[in-house]
Amino acid sequence: MAKSEEIVYINSEGKRVDGRKVDELRPIKIVPSVLSRAEGSAYIEWGQNKALVGVFGPREALPQHIQDPTKALVNYVYRMATFSVPDRKSPKPGRREIEISKVSGEALERAIFVERFPNTTIDIYVYLFDSNAGTRCAALTAASVALADAGIPMRDLVSACAVGRAAGTIILDPCKAEEDASDAVDMPLAIMPRTKEVVLLQMDGLIGKEEWKKAFELGIKGCLQVYEIQKKALKRKYEEIAEEEEKTIKQIDKELKKVEKK
Amino acid sequence: MRDDIIWELRSDKVRELIKSSQRLDGRALYEYRPIKIETDFSKNAHGSCRVVLGETDVIAGVKMDVAEPYPDTPDEGSITVGVEFMPMASPVFEPGPPDQNATELARVVDRCIRESKAIDFKKLCIEEGEKAWFVFIDIYVANDSGNLFDASSLAALGALLNTKIPKLEDDKIVKDEFVGKLEVAKRPLLTTFAKINGKLLLDPAIAEEKAMDARISIGTTEEKLMSALQKGGPGSFTQAEIEQCIDLAFEKSAELRKLLKVE
Amino acid sequence: MQGRLVIPGELITTRRMKLGPHVFVENGKIYSDTVGLVKIERGSVRVVPLQGKYMPKAGDVVIGIVVAEEYSYYAIDINSFYYSFVPKEEIKIPLKKGTIVSAKIVKVDEINAATLSDIRVFRGGEILTISPVKVPRVIGKNASMLNILKKGTGCSLMVGMNGRIWAKGGNIELLKKALAKIERESHLSNLTLRVQKMLEEEKKKGGAFGKK
Repeated sequence: MAKSEEIVYINSEGKRVDGRKVDELRPIKIVPSVLSRAEGSAYIEWGQNKALVGVFGPREALPQHIQDPTKALVNYVYRMATFSVPDRKSPKPGRREIEISKVSGEALERAIFVERFPNTTIDIYVYLFDSNAGTRCAALTAASVALADAGIPMRDLVSACAVGRAAGTIILDPCKAEEDASDAVDMPLAIMPRTKEVVLLQMDGLIGKEEWKKAFELGIKGCLQVYEIQKKALKRKYEEIAEEEEKTIKQIDKELKKVEKK
Repeated sequence: MRDDIIWELRSDKVRELIKSSQRLDGRALYEYRPIKIETDFSKNAHGSCRVVLGETDVIAGVKMDVAEPYPDTPDEGSITVGVEFMPMASPVFEPGPPDQNATELARVVDRCIRESKAIDFKKLCIEEGEKAWFVFIDIYVANDSGNLFDASSLAALGALLNTKIPKLEDDKIVKDEFVGKLEVAKRPLLTTFAKINGKLLLDPAIAEEKAMDARISIGTTEEKLMSALQKGGPGSFTQAEIEQCIDLAFEKSAELRKLLKVE
Repeated sequence: MQGRLVIPGELITTRRMKLGPHVFVENGKIYSDTVGLVKIERGSVRVVPLQGKYMPKAGDVVIGIVVAEEYSYYAIDINSFYYSFVPKEEIKIPLKKGTIVSAKIVKVDEINAATLSDIRVFRGGEILTISPVKVPRVIGKNASMLNILKKGTGCSLMVGMNGRIWAKGGNIELLKKALAKIERESHLSNLTLRVQKMLEEEKKKGGAFGKK
């Protein structure tokens, strides 16, 4: 990759190619309950990434022979729209999408109380409409919110974030330009925030243990920041409604007090 | 499946109400549901548009690519329309290759645009017999709450209207560089009616689609010409009904065109 | 802590308490497993979910829809994880696809499939749906909300624990508005009074019962 010699990944002020600090996430916006026919849903914008998630279930798993009598099956389907990548991609799922679907489903399985719903399936469908590095983390983060939106009981949310390296510096949430660095390392990571249990972990690149530890710990910090955003997103709807109804609620409280006095 | 049972139950209510020209959601017979349009939201797409029609939610994206022209039209490029019903759009959709409905929808949207001559295929030619631009329009259905036809054609047109042409250098596309916008000479759109109990209604919502006898979609341009016609469903239409739909289609599509702002 | 909005995995308390639905214990601490409101009553803690599917419970009365007729049984959809299957011999009147029935859940097995009895057919009316977790709010303490809905709309009502409501007569449009308000604001207090207010105001606006 000849380009990486020309790019300054971290400048003298500690700023990255897109102006961020080494431990700074790109802007993230999450909105739950965006689709009417799915049982749970969420929309996420994470940097340039844009994804939509719809969840169904638990529902009866069919055909019958795939059913597991001890727990619900978690069926995670990750797909990218043809126009979501720089070079148009075929609408058919590629091996990358299939692999991401597998590990993401496994990540969520740990968080969901699957034993409560034997013989069922929980279907999670995620589609990306624009992308720029960290798509699987954006997808998984939104999927976790969609599952909560569907009312599916979980031990915790799953919060995901990638960490990487460019020009010898460990950086949080790499963007595409940074992934092209000659010494790039890309490590997507997802945890259950309360216990920091790691439910998704992958890595591309060449790295020693000490450096890896620094990267991993930065990644955990990133995931915890992502969790705060997920939490706010889930609560926001109710808090907004409470604010809107505040006037009428206060009025009724006043009237009730008057009645009590009589 | 579960969700569909409620719509089937509502079918009786829909059929009953329509006798007095009323609809479940209180709309007039020839009234569109509220429409929201968002354009150019995907940077990797060359053009993109999201349409929310009532609760129906459809996302379209355009990518242009260079390829060899078809042997019988060596001086022309072309368009290709694909439709994917995402499995989140309804409890009954499953992931997989497009089924009959998705295929029909893609082909009708394609005809509406192609036949209208909104895009001059000859202008897409780069080098006769060797290279031409091909415009790939991919439509993703995110939520099926009825009338995917009109929502899809609106999203496709919205995406085409903000499509940028990639810059070519040595016959290769240069990333992130563009040379102007795709020329879209007309504004072709589909307008769809359902027939229920002998009455025609515009923009059928999901409960109405489940109750309908038949459906007709009419592709029109702003010049009051038709570029596509498609009847669907097991029922039938009389000639008078079809003519009525055509007249209404010219009128109603004009309302949708107003909503599309060209950047 | 009472009435606090929590999300899955959020800590509720470190005190020892009896456990109700939608909470779990880890390392001696109690957490929520869903998005909902914390409720503490008589030494026990639970979370009232704001979203979710209907979990069948023995004793619940539900509203079902017949989805299929097989040779010796009917399949009835009760808006949960599975259909319920009722042998034809247990039902006196013949049912067909689309018939709306009320039924009582006699037992629920280990995969959450429900067995039904006391099947009765509804005549006329229509079915409205709300999120099953909001049903308690539609009924209210001592059926207070239910009474207000009946009086305020003039509808005959039957509320199924599975989120389906059968309504007949009266002002169904007004009922739908009231139900939408309950669904939207189920996490706020004094809901019964506020719905009552809304129904009174609507009545003043639109006249008595029904539109036509």
